[in-house]
Amino acid sequence: MDLFLQYLANGLVIGAFYALSALGLTLIFGLMRVVNFAHGEFYMLGGVLGWFVTAHLGLNFFLGLALVAATMATLGWLVDRFLIERVRGQGEEPGILLTIGLSIFLVNATLLVVGPAPMKVAGAFAEGPVFIGPIIVTKLRLLAVAVGAAAILAAHLLIRRTRLGRAMRATFQDPMAASLAGIRTKHVYAATFALGCTLAALSGMLLASVYSAQASIGGLVSLKSFVVVILGGMGSFAGAVAGGLLLGIAEAMWGGYVATGMVDVIGFVLVILILLFRPQGIFSARAERA
Amino acid sequence: MTLERNTLLVALVGALLLPFAVTDQYLLHLAVMALFYVVLATSLNLVVGYVGEFSLGHTAFLGTGAYTAALLSTHAGLPLWITVPVAGLVAAAFGFAIGAITLRLQGPYFVIVTLAFAEVLRLVANNWIAVTNGPMGLAGIGQSGLTDKREFYFVILALAALALYLSYRFVYSNAGRAAVAVRENRYVAQSIGVDPFGAAMQAFVLGAFMAGLAGGFYAHYISFVGPEVFQFAFMATIIIMVLMGGKGTLVGPIVGAVIVTLLEEYLREVQELRLTLFGLIVMAIVLFLPNGLMGFVARRREQHGSTILRNTPAEEKTV
Amino acid sequence: MHRLVLGSVLMAGVAAAAPAQAQETVRIGLIQPLTGSVAYNGQSVVEGARLAIEEVNAAGGVLGKKIELIIEDGQCKPANSVNAVEKLVQKDKVVGLVGAFCSSATAAIMPVAQKYKIPLVTGVSSKADLTEQGNPYFFRAAETDGLMAKAFAKILAKDLKLGSVAYIGVNDDWGRGGIEEFSRDLSALGVKTVLTEYFDHGTTDFFTLLTKLRAAKPDGVFVAAETQDGSILVKQIRELGITAKVFGVGSWATADFIKLAGDAAEGIHAAVPYASTYEAPRNQAFVKKYEAKYGIKPGKYGAAGYNALNIVAAAIAGAGSTDAEAIRAALQKTRYEAPNGVYQFTGKGQAYGFDAVLVRLEKGEPKVIASAPVEATD
Repeated sequence: MDLFLQYLANGLVIGAFYALSALGLTLIFGLMRVVNFAHGEFYMLGGVLGWFVTAHLGLNFFLGLALVAATMATLGWLVDRFLIERVRGQGEEPGILLTIGLSIFLVNATLLVVGPAPMKVAGAFAEGPVFIGPIIVTKLRLLAVAVGAAAILAAHLLIRRTRLGRAMRATFQDPMAASLAGIRTKHVYAATFALGCTLAALSGMLLASVYSAQASIGGLVSLKSFVVVILGGMGSFAGAVAGGLLLGIAEAMWGGYVATGMVDVIGFVLVILILLFRPQGIFSARAERA
Repeated sequence: MTLERNTLLVALVGALLLPFAVTDQYLLHLAVMALFYVVLATSLNLVVGYVGEFSLGHTAFLGTGAYTAALLSTHAGLPLWITVPVAGLVAAAFGFAIGAITLRLQGPYFVIVTLAFAEVLRLVANNWIAVTNGPMGLAGIGQSGLTDKREFYFVILALAALALYLSYRFVYSNAGRAAVAVRENRYVAQSIGVDPFGAAMQAFVLGAFMAGLAGGFYAHYISFVGPEVFQFAFMATIIIMVLMGGKGTLVGPIVGAVIVTLLEEYLREVQELRLTLFGLIVMAIVLFLPNGLMGFVARRREQHGSTILRNTPAEEKTV
Repeated sequence: MHRLVLGSVLMAGVAAAAPAQAQETVRIGLIQPLTGSVAYNGQSVVEGARLAIEEVNAAGGVLGKKIELIIEDGQCKPANSVNAVEKLVQKDKVVGLVGAFCSSATAAIMPVAQKYKIPLVTGVSSKADLTEQGNPYFFRAAETDGLMAKAFAKILAKDLKLGSVAYIGVNDDWGRGGIEEFSRDLSALGVKTVLTEYFDHGTTDFFTLLTKLRAAKPDGVFVAAETQDGSILVKQIRELGITAKVFGVGSWATADFIKLAGDAAEGIHAAVPYASTYEAPRNQAFVKKYEAKYGIKPGKYGAAGYNALNIVAAAIAGAGSTDAEAIRAALQKTRYEAPNGVYQFTGKGQAYGFDAVLVRLEKGEPKVIASAPVEATD
């Protein structure tokens, strides 16, 4: 029983991490319909910049997190205005090719600048185990889950409760009608992309403090995030959380009771099953347009 | 139609003459790799260019073909001219099974589900040690008495010619026209009695067959097959070729395959900057040549009414 | 039109870079993963290789000429590594090859090297059967897992008082090979195996695996993992409160690993072919030069690159010409005095004679607790 509880706890924590790292993609892929293969690289940049601002500029963790967020928001805005905007409305292909090119560029430019070594991001406080009954977690993991939950909540409120959020929802439902209603859709797209990019980078820095940061980690993150977004249903925050937790727990149980070697296969099998039997995802109620 | 056919024929003649003009083994090796990619890009183009659905799982067929040939060669000692056709057929069978499941989906869902299949196969290849030898891979695959690069060149040229012939026949068949009709407007096509699923399925299985042939050739030529044949990196290269050359044309993927193969090698001159520059070039192509190089050429032709298209691809081929 | 221009520019480039006749230098080709997930280790090999060539050239080079090191990125992928070899042999006319890190990539380039009759030395690839293929142009200047296990299994079992061991390894030829060899030798000494698990390269979270391990209550944990995976893994072993003794193989005797793993690195044992704290005057000189040039102490891979290039350079000098057959014969007769002992090759091209070491990480330093020469097997 204790073993089961520990597996469940592991699954929940990892699931929360998956949800967190997929949030940005929920916006960019789920809402904007850009099949963004540079997502993992935004995540990676968050970790690498996090290392730079804490180890080199000497900022404390939370100040560093804010600086990284601001930098990556700017980068996201620029990427959208100068790159993504030019292929908007042309189907998936140009976006896929563009983001593949962008990801190749970002990985290798990072490699040139900071080198290939793994980097340690100093966490907010000293690492140490926390005991909850028979279960062990660590302080940094709990912090990452808490900050992740706060980020999810903030993004949710932003989209549901603010003017910008209303403009976003209007734009993604019907861009033509939205622009007729006076919404500057270009800015809305750029703001959404910037937000997605920021969320990816935040998760990258948080998780780099738990694990480590390295130039080459992006590819795996992109794949896992696509799995989470599809599982949860495109463009739904609640769905991303559910998709992340489902994936995390399924992997923990499979790894615990069967074998750890094939654990990555679970996500893809789940994706295939979900798309066959419930293509709108677990959470999203409405069917997809077009 | 005639223009496209003539262009392909001129390219073929040029390609036939190439090994007599080039003796440098490195250039010949690049020509072999370029033709290997021509087969792959042509096969992906059937799905992306003519069905209009974006498959990211094409490595599933490349990989099954490569493993089939590798296993037949290392265990049964069969020669290349048996293993490669069998590799194509096995990949086509996989294509049929995967197509039956995935072609019911469209847009981003199709993109991700095909990718998921390729990843599942990669993980199976990586863990099913008894059959695939897992991450250790299958080494020492026989070369069936082919020792000279020139012989390999003619084998892959024959495969490329076959792939283009099959594509040509498909594109100008009723099924091909039906597929294009579905690509342009699914609902109109259905209203005039086209079965979108059937047309897409034909293209998908045909594409899988060709990718399997290419995989079989790869196994013998490189002499080593491991789970990396299923990796996304291969997929990214093939997509870049198809879209850079111009999807939905027969000549486009050829041009894309030749240029990207040369570009990746030529960029070795800039050492550490190689892949950084490559990424920038890919982005520039999307932004400045949205329909690929062939789209650009076609537009220029319309503007000038010239006959540039007739000769250039042949020039490309006689590298 | 545009296409034609781009095309001809490319062609001109390929043609222009055609081999320079009458070479002013002796060229050696090095194929390593410089991008992708093993780039970190590949770059370390390159650092060591560059230092070796610098030294040889400062001492006058070979055959009265300077050595030119041409480095290509093989990305640890078979096809890319073959491309790189074709380019190095045909275009650059190298007289010797070093590479290609991952055993899969090395297996793919071995037949190419044999076909062109260019000697190929690897300083890393450890898959045991590479030297069993009867390729006369292939030499491995590295330990295999079997040799490491033979050298240290007994010491480990006794010193760490191992009754039962859990094995965790990265899911590739090296990780699987390490576990196979160590579990065989430890089992023969009566050590019980309680768990064997593999994980994929790039895995970041090991809690599930380690929960299983904790329930199995082993005395020791054997780990086969490189810097990134390994540092995260040993950290999480301690985070989960597992007190079992950690030992294994991997490039752990480095400052980077110790910094990444933090306190968790304290007290773990690593069987490595090289550690910068190995006591020999020759090694101290090497470490000093390496540190002056790169600002860090060399690890397993830096030393591997350094040794492999020195071996090839010495063979060319010994051969007295750039003739492939003469270089091959000279390689066969190698007696290279490395920082960590003397390298020689068996008839199959497997290196022996150099010292491998067992280190314990103590207060951020790899402390050598045992060393043993790697012995010839045939």
